[in-house]
Amino acid sequence: MKLIIMMIVLFISQGLKAEVREQVIYEYKKYEKFDLGNLEVKGELIAPGDISIRERNRKRFSSDFYVRDSFKPQILEDIKSLR
Amino acid sequence: MKLVLVLLILSSGLQAKTDWVKKRYYFTALNELLTKSKGELNDREKQYFEKLLTMTGIEVLEDYNPKFLDKVNTDSVYFILGKKFFGKDDSRAMRYLTQLEKNHRYYPESQLLLSQINANKNDYNKTTLNLLACQTSAQINRDQQKLERIKRYYQMIYELCVVNKSRYAFGEGKFDEALKGYNKVPKSSYMWPSLILEKAWVYYHLKDYNRSLGLLITYKSPLLDSYFFPEAEYLTSLNYFQLCLWDDTYTVIKQYYEVYHPRFRELGAFFSSKRLSNDYFYNIMFRPKAEKPLDDDFVKKIMVRLKKQVRFSLDFNTVRRINAEVNLIMKTETPQVQKELLVHLNQVKENLVQKINYHAKEDVFKTLEKVQYFSGEMFKINLEIISKKKDLVYSNKKLIANRGRGDLSQVQRDKKESFWSFDGPFWADELGDYSFGLKSNCETVRREGEEE
Repeated sequence: MKLIIMMIVLFISQGLKAEVREQVIYEYKKYEKFDLGNLEVKGELIAPGDISIRERNRKRFSSDFYVRDSFKPQILEDIKSLR
Repeated sequence: MKLVLVLLILSSGLQAKTDWVKKRYYFTALNELLTKSKGELNDREKQYFEKLLTMTGIEVLEDYNPKFLDKVNTDSVYFILGKKFFGKDDSRAMRYLTQLEKNHRYYPESQLLLSQINANKNDYNKTTLNLLACQTSAQINRDQQKLERIKRYYQMIYELCVVNKSRYAFGEGKFDEALKGYNKVPKSSYMWPSLILEKAWVYYHLKDYNRSLGLLITYKSPLLDSYFFPEAEYLTSLNYFQLCLWDDTYTVIKQYYEVYHPRFRELGAFFSSKRLSNDYFYNIMFRPKAEKPLDDDFVKKIMVRLKKQVRFSLDFNTVRRINAEVNLIMKTETPQVQKELLVHLNQVKENLVQKINYHAKEDVFKTLEKVQYFSGEMFKINLEIISKKKDLVYSNKKLIANRGRGDLSQVQRDKKESFWSFDGPFWADELGDYSFGLKSNCETVRREGEEE
């Protein structure tokens, strides 16, 4: 029994040792200067002459007006109004 | 007189007391016949029963339990039961209505009901056959009658069957066919004023907005003063809108909002306070002295229109007949007999009054609802006009004219129609034949060099 407990303690302590890693410290540059005038961009200049937007038609929603397409209510009303 | 003699002959030897017919207590005689026989009538009793109904009207049977009436196998009862189940249990209604004999006085009406039952099942072939049978039998019945009042009744049923054929054609998009039917109804017909609106819709669908407007202007004539249809005002504005006559559209909408809408809202509030009454609407229709008169043009117009409906006049006639019988009993019978007879009569009368009141109330509230509904629809048209005006401004365009006015070239007419210009007064023989001559203003032109 004692032997088993000792084995378990040994295993746990080995595991903890493996988890402890060396700490890495990163250091960033505190100051950096860009000379934009000196930067060279390779390519062709294709800027438009003036501002333009593409023309598109406005979305028009169909007007949902009431248009009678049946006289069923009138038929029923007339039948009811007879007697 | 002839009918009373027939009744007396038929009543002799029956289990019912013959005295009642001699004394002209027809409602009492009818009730006694039904209660004593428990609804199971022999052939002679059936004949007697049918004749009694011509004196009392069948409206009185609506008080009886359908299960009880089911035992009374006569054509009038088949009709009243068919009518009762119409729209609630159509197959049962059909079973009763198909049993009526072709020569029975309610046969045309039974065919009218059957036509709608078949239309509900989209069986338009049968609907057409029913309507034709209705027309033919109504004509036969009309020609056999001597009393002008009854002749007019059958003429009305005939016209209703003609019109319903047009209405079904309209529903199927057959507008030219629908017009033919509408044109068969004479201007003298009781139905004609309300058909103007239906015809205006047909012309709207045919894109003849000028004719549609011409029909609707008929409602402005003094002869049709009592007819107010919110839908007609809406259709007028819609016709103007389709012709791009936005100022005219706006005028109609403005008038509706300023004149009709607020007054109907007030009326709605007033009538709502009376909605639980069992006789208020009956009283303002038939007994104006019983209620404080409502000094409102619209109420008077609605009531005049309601009184013209057949069901109200038939029910009211029955109430009057019952009143006459009650008065007769009060004058001639002993208190013991009075007590025995008046219970039933008063009950029947009360039920009829409540029925009239209920239908009148329903009609009034439906009219008020329509005012509200079409007010919303007109608001939509107004918004659409604003949107269209904005589009024109953005596209730097304008309508071709500020206001397109009429000329004869815009009037569509057939060979038989003549042309007279309208100078203000309405002539009765011209009603319903008007057409505007407005040119469509929908063409747009570029707005150039305009100084605001």
